[in-house]
Amino acid sequence: MSISLDQVTKRFGVTFGVEDVTTEIPSGALTAILGPSGAGKSTLLRLIGGLVTPDAGRISIDGEDVTDVDPRHRNIGFCFQNYAPFRHMTVAKNVAYGLKVRHRPRAEIAARVTEMLELVRLSDLAGRYPAQLSGGELQRMALARALAIEPRVLLLDEPFGALDAQVRGELRTWIKELHDAVHVTTVLVTHDQNEAMEIADNLLVLNEGRVAQVGTPTELYDHPASEFVLRFLGPSTTLDGQAVRPHDLEVVGPTEGTPAVVTEVATLGFEIRVSLRLDDGQELWAQMSRAQFQALAIGVGDRVGLRRRPGAAARPAQAAPDAATTTSTDGAPVTTPDDQGRALTR
Amino acid sequence: MTAAPIGARRMWPLRAAVLTYLALLVGLPVGYLFYNAFSSGFGAFWRAVTQPAAVSALWLSAKIALVVVPVNTVVGIGAALLLARRRFVGRRFLDLTFDVPIAVSPIIIGLALLLAYAPLGSWFGPWLARHGIMAIFSPTGIALASMAVSLPYVLRSVVPVLVEVGETQEAAARTLGAGAWRRFFTITLPAIRWGVLYGVTLTLARTLGEFGAVLVVSGNQSKTQTMTLWIANEWEQNYNELSSFAGAVVLASISIVVLVVLSILRSREKRLHVDIA
Amino acid sequence: MAGGATLLVGYLSVIVLLPIAALAAHGLGLSIHTHGAGLAFWDWSVHTDFAAFWSAVTQPNARAAIWLSLWLSLAVAAVNAVAGIAIAWVLVRDDFVGKRVVEAVIDLPFALPTIVAGVVFLFLYGVKSPVHVTLFETVTGLLVALLFVTLPFSVRAVQPVLASLDGQAEAAARTLGAGSFRTFRTVVLPSLLPAVLSGFGLAFARAVGEFGSITLIAGGLAKTTTASILIFSLIGAGKPDVAASVSVALLVLSLLLLAGSSALARRISKRLSS
Repeated sequence: MSISLDQVTKRFGVTFGVEDVTTEIPSGALTAILGPSGAGKSTLLRLIGGLVTPDAGRISIDGEDVTDVDPRHRNIGFCFQNYAPFRHMTVAKNVAYGLKVRHRPRAEIAARVTEMLELVRLSDLAGRYPAQLSGGELQRMALARALAIEPRVLLLDEPFGALDAQVRGELRTWIKELHDAVHVTTVLVTHDQNEAMEIADNLLVLNEGRVAQVGTPTELYDHPASEFVLRFLGPSTTLDGQAVRPHDLEVVGPTEGTPAVVTEVATLGFEIRVSLRLDDGQELWAQMSRAQFQALAIGVGDRVGLRRRPGAAARPAQAAPDAATTTSTDGAPVTTPDDQGRALTR
Repeated sequence: MTAAPIGARRMWPLRAAVLTYLALLVGLPVGYLFYNAFSSGFGAFWRAVTQPAAVSALWLSAKIALVVVPVNTVVGIGAALLLARRRFVGRRFLDLTFDVPIAVSPIIIGLALLLAYAPLGSWFGPWLARHGIMAIFSPTGIALASMAVSLPYVLRSVVPVLVEVGETQEAAARTLGAGAWRRFFTITLPAIRWGVLYGVTLTLARTLGEFGAVLVVSGNQSKTQTMTLWIANEWEQNYNELSSFAGAVVLASISIVVLVVLSILRSREKRLHVDIA
Repeated sequence: MAGGATLLVGYLSVIVLLPIAALAAHGLGLSIHTHGAGLAFWDWSVHTDFAAFWSAVTQPNARAAIWLSLWLSLAVAAVNAVAGIAIAWVLVRDDFVGKRVVEAVIDLPFALPTIVAGVVFLFLYGVKSPVHVTLFETVTGLLVALLFVTLPFSVRAVQPVLASLDGQAEAAARTLGAGSFRTFRTVVLPSLLPAVLSGFGLAFARAVGEFGSITLIAGGLAKTTTASILIFSLIGAGKPDVAASVSVALLVLSLLLLAGSSALARRISKRLSS
C-alpha cells in the first residue's frame, strides 16, 4: 500500500510545520522519516495518519485520496511516542480494542489477540495492566494493538525515543524482523540517523519542513544532494570550502594536498582521530583505521597534506567550520554543535 | 522527595500547640455534638430523628440530591472537556462563572435566584407563574439553589485529571476506528473516573449540607423544608434542643462518611487533592 | 458538540448568570426606558438609580454590618494563614501516632453543614455553656465559628507546596550559618507565600459570605450583625432591593480587598527574598 503526498503543506501560526512535500512512499517497505528536531517529521506522520489536516495538498493511500478522511476510516496503525496505552485495560483488552470497535465476533477477536501477542512475544503478560509493563513491553503492546486491525500502513512516531540504549538496540532489530515477517508498509519517524540507516529500506530526510532528499540509505550516504544531508547523515568536516566526511580525508605528504599541522592524535577504539590545523588557522580532523594510521607514521607537530579521497561525497560548504557559528534571522550568532561536532545548518 | 522529619524533641512544642488548637477548635464542638444528642439516651435520640417532619425533611434532601448530583456531574464533565481540551472565545468567562458559587455568599445566591425567579417582582417569575411554574418557594427553587451552590465541584476535580491524562489515548483510539461517543465512554471516562467520583462526593456533601441559599428560596413552608432547614426550625420555632441536635448528628454522620470516602479516593488516585476552591 | 455547548451556556445562565445579573440590576436600580415606539436597542436608555444604591449602603446598619464582615473576615483569614502554616508543617514534617486522624479532622469543617456548626456553637458557647464559656451575642463568638469553618483552606493550600520542598535549600542555608527562624523566613516562607495567599483568599471569601454557622450565636444584636445576616433580615423584611444593594457593595469591596492583599503579598514576598 503505497503512500502518495502531493504538495502537502501544514502551517502552525507563522512557522511552517511541513511545506510543499511531494513524494511517494513505496509499498511494503520500511521508510524512515529523518531530520533534526522541528523539521516536521511528526507533523508529516500525523498528516499521513489523519490526526492533522493539511492546509494544502493531497494525501493518497494505495491510490485512494484520503485527505479528507477521518483517521478512523483510513485503516492505519499508529504507534505514539509514549505508547498511549489504555491504562485501565489489560494488555489483551488493549490489543483487542480496534477489533471490538469493528464489531468482530468474540471468538475471532480472541484468536487474533492471541496471534498478535505471540507475534510480539507478550503472551504471558496478556492479563497485566500497562502500569506493570516496562517501556519495551509497552512498545510491543502498542505494535500488537496497531497491527491487530490489519492496517494497510503502519506509522511509528519515535518508537525508540523513550527507551534506554540496550532496549533500543534490541527493539530495532526486532522491528526489522517484524517488518520482514509482516510486510506492511511502515513509516517510522526518528531523529537518530544511525537507527534509520540500520533498519530502513528508504530514507526521507526533512529539513525545516521541506524534503531534503529521498532514497535508500546507501544512495543518501554516498550521494548526498546537499550539504545538509551530508552533514546530517554522518560526521562531517570542511576542507577547501567543501563539506566532507572525516573518513574521506586522506593524509598525504605536505606537497600533495592542503598543508596542515597535526595537533592531536586520539584513539577511539579501533579508529584513530587525527586533529589538524590548516595554515589559515582552521581546525579539523580526519578519521582512519589503526592500520592506516600506523602506515602513515606521523605524529603531533608533523606537517602533512590533506586531500579528499577521489570519488568521495562532498558538497560545497556554506557555513564556517566545525563549531559552525551561523547567524539566525535576527543577526545574533547561534551555535549548534552536536555530540560529534557536526554543524547543523539553520 | 520531602524533607526528613525533624527530630521529635524540636517538634514537640509546635506539635503540642497545633494539636491543642485543633482539639479545642474542632474536637470540642464535634464531641459536644454527639454527647449532647445522646445525653438523654438513645431512645430519645431515635424518637427525635424519626419524627414525621424529620423523615420527610431528610427525604426531601435526598430527592433534591438525586436530581442535583447527576445534573452537575454531567455539566461538570462537559465543561471540563471544553476547558481542558479546546481553545475558544469566552473560555476565561466560563471558568469564572464556575467560581461564582465559591466566592459568593449562599445568602446572596439565594437572593439572586429570588430576584430572578420569584413569582412577584422578579425578572422571570411573573412570566413563569403565568405558565404555572413556581420556580421559587417550591422544591424546584430548592433544587435550583442547590444546583447553583454545588456547581463547581465536579469540574474542579476533573480538570486536573483530564489535563494530566492528556489526549494521546483518545488519539490512539481514534486511529483504531473509535468514534467520539465510543472514545468518551471507553477511554475518557474510565481515565477520569476517580476525579469524577471525588467531585460527585463533594457535590453530594454540599447539596445535603446547604443552608443559607435554601433558607432564602424556601419561603418557610413544610413542603420545602430540607434537613438543614428542619434542624434550624426545631430550635428557632420549637425550642427543641434535642431534635436539633439529633438532626445535626444525622447530617454530621453523613459528613464523616463523606470524609472517609474522600480520603479513600485520594489514596487511590494521587492526583486528587482536597479541592476546596 | 455545539448543541452541548449551547445547553451548557443555557444551564449556566439559568443557574448563575441571570440571577447574578438580576441581583446587580436590582441592587443598582437599573432600569431600561424605551423612547417613543422604537423597539430597536438604540432607542433604549439605561439608567441606574445610584442614589438609591448609595443610600441603602450608607445606612448606619449597613455600614456597620459591611465593616464588621470585612474586618472580621480579614482577621480570620490572617489567623488562618499563620495557623495553616503551623498545621501544615506538623502534618508534613512531623510524625506521630494518630496523625491520620488529624488529617481527617482538618477536612471536617468543610464537609459539615454550616447549620450543624451553628447549632453546636450556640449551645457549646451559649448561656448555659458546659465549658462555662459564654460567647453568645459576642463578636468573639463569631470569630470562633468563622475560624472553625475556614480551617481547611489555608492548611490544604500550603500542605502540598510544603511537601514538595526537598529540604536542600534549607540545608544550604544552615551550612551558611542561618538559624532556624532565619532559614524559615528567608528560604521556606517565600516559596510558600503564593499558596498562603491563595488560602488567605479562599478563607476570606468563605468568611465574608458565611451565614449558617454564625446566625444562631449572633443573636439579634446590631454589633454582631454581619453583612450576610443583615442581607437575610432585609429579605425577610420584604426589602430585596436594599438587600441587593448591600450585596453588591459587599461583593465589590471583597473583590477590592482581595486584589489589595494579593498586591501586598507580592511586596512582602520580594522583601523576604532579599
